[in-house]
Amino acid sequence: MKSRQEIFDIVRRSLVELFELDEPVVVPEARFDDDLEIDSIDAVDLVDHLSRIFERRVSPRDFRSVRTVNDLIDCIDRLQTQ
Amino acid sequence: MMRGRTDRLHAQASDYFASEESPVVKRTDYYWLRLVGTGVWFLVFGLVTFVLGFVVLPVIRLVTANRLRRQHRSRAVLGAGMRSFVHSVDALRFIDFEFIGRERLGRPGQLIVANHPTLIDVCFLLGFAPTATCIVKASHFRNLVTRGAVIGAGYIPNAPTEDMIHAAEAALREGETLLMFPEGTRTVPGKPLMMQRGAANVALRAARVLTPVYISCEPSTLSKNLPWYRIPPSRPKWTLRVGDDIDLAAYRDAPVPIASRRLHADLAGLFAGANTVRD
Repeated sequence: MKSRQEIFDIVRRSLVELFELDEPVVVPEARFDDDLEIDSIDAVDLVDHLSRIFERRVSPRDFRSVRTVNDLIDCIDRLQTQ
Repeated sequence: MMRGRTDRLHAQASDYFASEESPVVKRTDYYWLRLVGTGVWFLVFGLVTFVLGFVVLPVIRLVTANRLRRQHRSRAVLGAGMRSFVHSVDALRFIDFEFIGRERLGRPGQLIVANHPTLIDVCFLLGFAPTATCIVKASHFRNLVTRGAVIGAGYIPNAPTEDMIHAAEAALREGETLLMFPEGTRTVPGKPLMMQRGAANVALRAARVLTPVYISCEPSTLSKNLPWYRIPPSRPKWTLRVGDDIDLAAYRDAPVPIASRRLHADLAGLFAGANTVRD
């Protein structure tokens, strides 16, 4: 079990590594499509990357309602308790 | 938005009709015969596809337990059908075609990317590289005429995105050849190519080799905004040219999202360049 802060750190590091984003841009309120310019193909890469880190097979379908970084953290938090 | 699109289509259509009916462009090469022939051949094509999908492929399914072998047999049958279609319309002089470098298609783990000017591009590519699997429009899996064929051959639906990418990746890893039209749909003539990044992404995930095929058709026919019966005034000629393999190692030093943007831009440049050279 990871805390929300730990999850946030992992998500931020992943976004910086995969998409060469500047760390300060990745804030909990940042929207994937508008603020971070992550499209549906990027989303597949991101989800594959995160499921390797969290060692969970997740489907992008689990992330359908995700709009912001915060939504993603909620979602991972929920998945790790299942 | 919708309105602008409709107006544009109308403008294009009237351009087309104007050019077709102007006295300068004469209808040659047995125009009326080609028109009737085209209609008959589309009917035959639909019928054959249906019969293969609902009679022949189910028989193959019954006698072939192994999934990969079953798909390859099914693709061989569909490929033979498409090849016969191409050869017959060529023999009947409805079309001309030239296919340069086709012996370099069909290698294991090869991703073939092609531009998509006309309805029958896939018949040339899968007709002459019949072991390949192909990403096809998801609606073909619901269409009564095509669903038997695309399911039997194990082709990959283009939606949802995540399933398409994972299925394409798995096929290439198994050593299959995969054909993708990166534009996702046919090009509207005179408009720039609008390629999607999915092909570059799939290439970097799993392709052993990436090979572009440049397709052109002069005069333009069977394109996105025209019904099948708007055949060109003279006999159309398809030219398919297999380009040099693209070295993927050059892109693999960066994470896939970054690298796929670079590869995508380079691919778009290659196809745009190929089109300018042709014009």
